[in-house]
Amino acid sequence: MTIKRKLKQYTNRKKALKASRKIHKWLMLFIGIQFVIWSVTGAYMVFFDIDYIHGDSLVVNHQDKINPHDIQYSLSTLFSEYPNAENIRLATFLQQTVYRFVVNTENVPVQFLMDARSGELISPIPESKAIEAAYYYSTLGMVKSVVLITDNPPFELSPRALPAWRINFDNFGAPSIYISKSTGELVGKRHTFWRLFDWMFRFHIMDYGDAEDVGNWLLFVVAFFAILGCLLGLVMIWLLVVKPFKNKAVSNKNKPRGVF
Amino acid sequence: MKWVRKFHKWASIVVGIQFLVWLVSGIYFNLMDTTKAFGRTYKAHINVESRLDRERLVDPSTVLLKYQPSVSLELIKILGYPFYQLTHEKALYSHFKNIYTLVDAYTGKQFLIDKLVAAKIAELSYNGPGKISKVIMLESFIPDYPKQQNPAWQIYFDDEIDTSVYVEANSGRIIGHSDEHKRFADIFFMLHFMDYGNNGSFNNIQNVFFAIAALWLALSGFIWSIHLGLKGKYNIRR
Repeated sequence: MTIKRKLKQYTNRKKALKASRKIHKWLMLFIGIQFVIWSVTGAYMVFFDIDYIHGDSLVVNHQDKINPHDIQYSLSTLFSEYPNAENIRLATFLQQTVYRFVVNTENVPVQFLMDARSGELISPIPESKAIEAAYYYSTLGMVKSVVLITDNPPFELSPRALPAWRINFDNFGAPSIYISKSTGELVGKRHTFWRLFDWMFRFHIMDYGDAEDVGNWLLFVVAFFAILGCLLGLVMIWLLVVKPFKNKAVSNKNKPRGVF
Repeated sequence: MKWVRKFHKWASIVVGIQFLVWLVSGIYFNLMDTTKAFGRTYKAHINVESRLDRERLVDPSTVLLKYQPSVSLELIKILGYPFYQLTHEKALYSHFKNIYTLVDAYTGKQFLIDKLVAAKIAELSYNGPGKISKVIMLESFIPDYPKQQNPAWQIYFDDEIDTSVYVEANSGRIIGHSDEHKRFADIFFMLHFMDYGNNGSFNNIQNVFFAIAALWLALSGFIWSIHLGLKGKYNIRR
């Protein structure tokens, strides 16, 4: 290679570097903040074990067995009393053998909890029973407050679980346990780390509206320019680190100074 | 500022390519057809109309006494036929390890989801053009659904996208469908989560390491930008 060609190559590299640096700098003025958001939210989601986030350690998974002799109110009696009963289950509620079933009245499913010994309805669960159940399902210390939720559930509770008692505990991470008012079942568990995770996820997918939608146009536009910015960063790595200026034919004076 | 620049440079060397992989896979999630990406191309809604003959039902307490102790007994239908599903050990989630017994609700006899029953369940959940070509049992691990911990039947269909239907062997529950579209999308999930061992998780050591590097990269870049701004380097005329 002649000195001339080497110099030309050098100038081209210098031009490429200058352009990359300039566009990278300007792009980041507009979307750099989203890079910070992606990194912080992504790191949060990666650092905390997902089972911990989901509150698996907040609850006790009891394995209380049904005592078959407790079932004195038979299934056929249940059917004669509730001819439209569906989804029938036998289980235990606070160590007591119970039936759970659904009755559809005008297409609105209503759930029932019934003592399998006497056939008496336990549902709807009163507040005191819900607190008792919350203590039984968890080991979170003292109950701080109890709220009945019948409509407009918070983001963290599925509308299908309504009506439900929200039992808030005075403990690390402000844990809450949701107990169905109609079945006495544990229908939800949350703590600060999960609530934060939900926010992190929304910011991660740039969902600044109210739907959890990864297919939004804002994400597309920003991610598109982010890819461009990232590629230009990689170009700079290439020009400065992988294939740096080692050309002896070029005087030291013209070499780019400092790190990029 | 010299140190911020150095951090930015070294963090970018470590995580630069992975950052590009995150962005490209991220934009793929943004654009993908979720029905296809989740394997639901030929997923049909199962609806078997059947009448329950309540007179013929075996008494639940008889069933409970006959088998090992149960946490719950549930009257369910599989292919329109009634069964009692006994749960002996109940996990927090259905995909965790659960121990069930299925009992014929009319006879009280234990019922096993065999190859033929699993194939029938799969067929009803499928509305594509294919026919069943093969049925195999997966005892411990389902590559298409790595989080599932219970044994399952894999039912292969001979359609153009290689659909497989997974039926949980101890309960008859449909775990899900999978096909070429889902497997293609799963490559992007694998890349985004750095889940190269297919553990169905993003809480892995390589991801933690690169997440830290990404934090360094983004934060140092952020500080650098602010510094440039304060020094008046964001000037359009330059």
